[in-house]
Amino acid sequence: MQSTINVAVMVKLEPDLSEGNVSYNPDGTLNRSQTRSILGPHSAIATRASFYSKVLYDANIKVCTMGPPMADIALRQALEICNADELHLYSDRAFAGADTLATAETIKAGIRKMGSIDLVIGGHRAVDGETGQTGPQVAWKLGFNFLGNVIDYSIDSANRIIHAERLIEIQGLYNILEEVECPLPALITIDPSYRERYNTVSQRLKYIKLQKEAMKKAENYKQYLKVWSAKELGVDTRSVGLPGSPTIVYKVEKVPRAKASRQTRIIDVSKDSELKELGMRLLEILNSK
Amino acid sequence: MKYEHLFVFFEHDDGNPANVSFEMLGEARRLMDEFNRKYSRNEKVIAIILGHNIKSLCERAIHAGADAVIYADHPELRYPRIMVDTKIICSLVRDRQTVAKVVETSEDYVKPRYMFFGADAIGRHLSATVLAELESGLASDVNKLLVDDVTITHEHKTKGKQEKYEKILFMYRPDFSGFLWTQILCLDNKNPEIAREYSPQACSIIPGVFQPIIDSSRKGKIVEYEPTFSGKDLKIRIVKREIIKSEVPLEDSRIVVAFGRGIKDSPESNIKLIEQFANTLDAEIAISLPLSKQPYSISQSLKSTYFIPARVVGTSGKKIKPKVYVAIGISGATQHIVGMKDSEFVVSINPDPDAPIKDESDIYIQGRMEDVLPLLLDSIKKIKEGGN
Repeated sequence: MQSTINVAVMVKLEPDLSEGNVSYNPDGTLNRSQTRSILGPHSAIATRASFYSKVLYDANIKVCTMGPPMADIALRQALEICNADELHLYSDRAFAGADTLATAETIKAGIRKMGSIDLVIGGHRAVDGETGQTGPQVAWKLGFNFLGNVIDYSIDSANRIIHAERLIEIQGLYNILEEVECPLPALITIDPSYRERYNTVSQRLKYIKLQKEAMKKAENYKQYLKVWSAKELGVDTRSVGLPGSPTIVYKVEKVPRAKASRQTRIIDVSKDSELKELGMRLLEILNSK
Repeated sequence: MKYEHLFVFFEHDDGNPANVSFEMLGEARRLMDEFNRKYSRNEKVIAIILGHNIKSLCERAIHAGADAVIYADHPELRYPRIMVDTKIICSLVRDRQTVAKVVETSEDYVKPRYMFFGADAIGRHLSATVLAELESGLASDVNKLLVDDVTITHEHKTKGKQEKYEKILFMYRPDFSGFLWTQILCLDNKNPEIAREYSPQACSIIPGVFQPIIDSSRKGKIVEYEPTFSGKDLKIRIVKREIIKSEVPLEDSRIVVAFGRGIKDSPESNIKLIEQFANTLDAEIAISLPLSKQPYSISQSLKSTYFIPARVVGTSGKKIKPKVYVAIGISGATQHIVGMKDSEFVVSINPDPDAPIKDESDIYIQGRMEDVLPLLLDSIKKIKEGGN
């Protein structure tokens, strides 16, 4: 008998960098009140990847995030993408100021509270923090197998095995496409080049139906939302938030400008002769050995 | 000393070393030489290598700056696999006897003082799981390091009191804009209510930033570590592995045309213009990091063609050295400069004469791409038609 696949998705509310006006507090932290926030782009990809499980395996999906009360916007946006069954927001002053280790501690506690989870899906990294560390740290704390840089996956629900393709880029060496499999439970983080494939007509029809349903659910997203405090999660407040963070941001400064490395010639393109000279020069260099 | 030495995780794929391994060792050497001078200590740089048939790498690690190498050789370790690698690294660095075999180590040794990993598809995740297991702090994507003492007052770390911390690793990481540098410190909790020691102070290091050392006269101890692991640690099974070409062959291109946030006034038509320009010169198209975050609303096909990580030049992307590099509407954050500074001939187009990219250019054209590119395109076409 096939039992349901239970999927947890970890997402993050992030500054919308498309606004082009990211602002900072005097202490160097991001001034979030000045910057519109949205479901982060990598979180959105992870959520899309979870929807694949819903369409193909009828997975039950729980989306979670840690953040201020307003982070429920990210959960709502995720619900629209993946037709989630439950939304979990870990929101407590005790969680604030966490580095990746302390964040992972909170999310681990949250996922444990979800009951039986087979697969956790996370994004590649956040656009603001950019560490890419939280996913693997949550996996390690949960004792789940971890697969990063996943570009495709499928689940053998009878044998409870996940099969995944990973893209491993090693700078200055080469790239590797790796096919791996491991037993569930597992935590995977999704590479930006992830592309889901819905091959059959019935998959596509189901996709459309579930998506329509998701939009409807999103109108009343609060009915699927549960907000958790530190106490409700049962975490030790000394191991989350600022008190539980080994690292601190000591200082933020401007990167000093490097010394000029080349003799720069300034060209005025309004002068035909200079323009032509540059064109000739470019072609000459390109045609040389 | 409970916490000693700098451990560097030496990255390779089936015996092929990643450049970042040598770069990390070079920086580790410089840092620990300075550390030992400054604090009159004698702590070492130890490389950790896991793999199969990797004996030759051990010597190369010594030449690159390590004082000693501890390696584990096993067929199951041939390719990087995060769960088993994490387990072995953690038990290795906590094994005083093994560490004491290669370098002089205190009786009360518990864990490393510092640890380095590469900030790439191997080291990024591995550093995270290792530090989760060792329960200490980790900074990612670091491009500058120094060791110093620091006196701070912190609400949690020191409970508002002024406290001095010694031998702290200052880990500098550029933020997503590339213009701000954040200093990350990993500090013990000296607040009695949450007192805790955090060691090692660890980071992942951006490939291509630090200078490697190659000195084949260097000598050091190489010791094998017999790892213990069980089937439980080997649950991730590699079914197939294939070396593939990059989706965008920036490294092989003679000419690269890169664009940045300067496309902002009309992204869609500017990209079309850049496409035309690149096609005329048979160039590959690259982008600066901020564009990989898809900050503009443009058609999905342009987005998925150009606004992708495989096209990013810089520390978070590729390091290239084409014959010609044309930077269009790129201001030139240090992140970006690292990726293109070895290009043979650089042309930049930017309306801001104070943009740092100017100093990295052989030719600088002041102006908006909308105005400059059509002129340049026209001129090149004419020259080509003229048979030159």
